[in-house]
Amino acid sequence: MHELGVASEILDIALSEAGRHAAKKVTSIRLRVGVLRAIEPENLSFLFGHLARGTPAEGALLEIVEEPVRVECEGCGASEARSFTIECPRCKGPGVTVTGGDSLSILSLEIDA
Amino acid sequence: MRIEVERAILQSADEAAAAIRELLSGRKIFALNLLSSPGSGKTTLIEALLARFDGKGGVAVVEGDIETEIDAERIRKHGVQVRQINTHSACHIQPTRLLSVLREMDLSETRLLLVENVGNLVCPAEVSLGEDARVVLLSVTEGDEKPLKYPLVFKTSDLLVITKTDLLPYVTFDVERVRRAARAANPAVQIFEVSATTGAGMSLLLDRIEALRAAKNG
Ligand SMILES: [Zn+2]
Repeated sequence: MHELGVASEILDIALSEAGRHAAKKVTSIRLRVGVLRAIEPENLSFLFGHLARGTPAEGALLEIVEEPVRVECEGCGASEARSFTIECPRCKGPGVTVTGGDSLSILSLEIDA
Repeated sequence: MRIEVERAILQSADEAAAAIRELLSGRKIFALNLLSSPGSGKTTLIEALLARFDGKGGVAVVEGDIETEIDAERIRKHGVQVRQINTHSACHIQPTRLLSVLREMDLSETRLLLVENVGNLVCPAEVSLGEDARVVLLSVTEGDEKPLKYPLVFKTSDLLVITKTDLLPYVTFDVERVRRAARAANPAVQIFEVSATTGAGMSLLLDRIEALRAAKNG
């Protein structure tokens, strides 16, 4: 249920940005979400939709740009993966370091002025 | 019309964490944020730390729990300053809440602050409490796939403590697999294996925590 806090903060930021630009309506919100964040998109959208009722962001679409992890393999270099791993996705070697995949940010909003 | 925002979510929490960090540094307090599933041994580790640091310049404890005061009662028996934060529906301690609790506490003698976060491996990992070091505990009874399921907590922790190692002969738990996963998530992680029952590994861990505390504040 940690999506609830995230949804509420997305709404706060969206409404304050919309206010600054005197927007009548927020139609979509673009997010970057790292795969390590364990965010369920459906759950996030559902909770956001619920919180946004009666605000200028009611009905706004959440558009999620997934951020993969970067896997550094001792054997074959860097690659990307859609989940945390202790095995290189390419050569299956065990010597890996996993970085990134922990973003959680609002990239942009689409508004009707 | 498009508005570029490019703003991290949970940023307000980071501001409160920075305020906590400043409060602790000003008072020369070293703070640990303890994370784990329920029943992995956080309260037991706190009790071991209390025994170790008793009379050596003040330990204060903040217990995070969804509803009860059971852990706080258990710690209070040791005669140290304990505050309870009941988070109710929230699955982790909010830094804003911790900040206001710290402001109410008498920390004049405190050198070590122990924060026992709410028992889960997801939400507390996402939020900094301005701590000096983050400790994740994993008991061998929980299974060795935990770092693969919840990598963020292992990525963000400075110390990994594998607990209840006396039970290793009775469970399927590949310590080496856990070490590998934790290192893949955070190459700098320091890993300890302890048993509160036999005492194995405990003094090594307590020595390390004391060294970290001394490195910050002398
Ligand atoms: Zn490889």
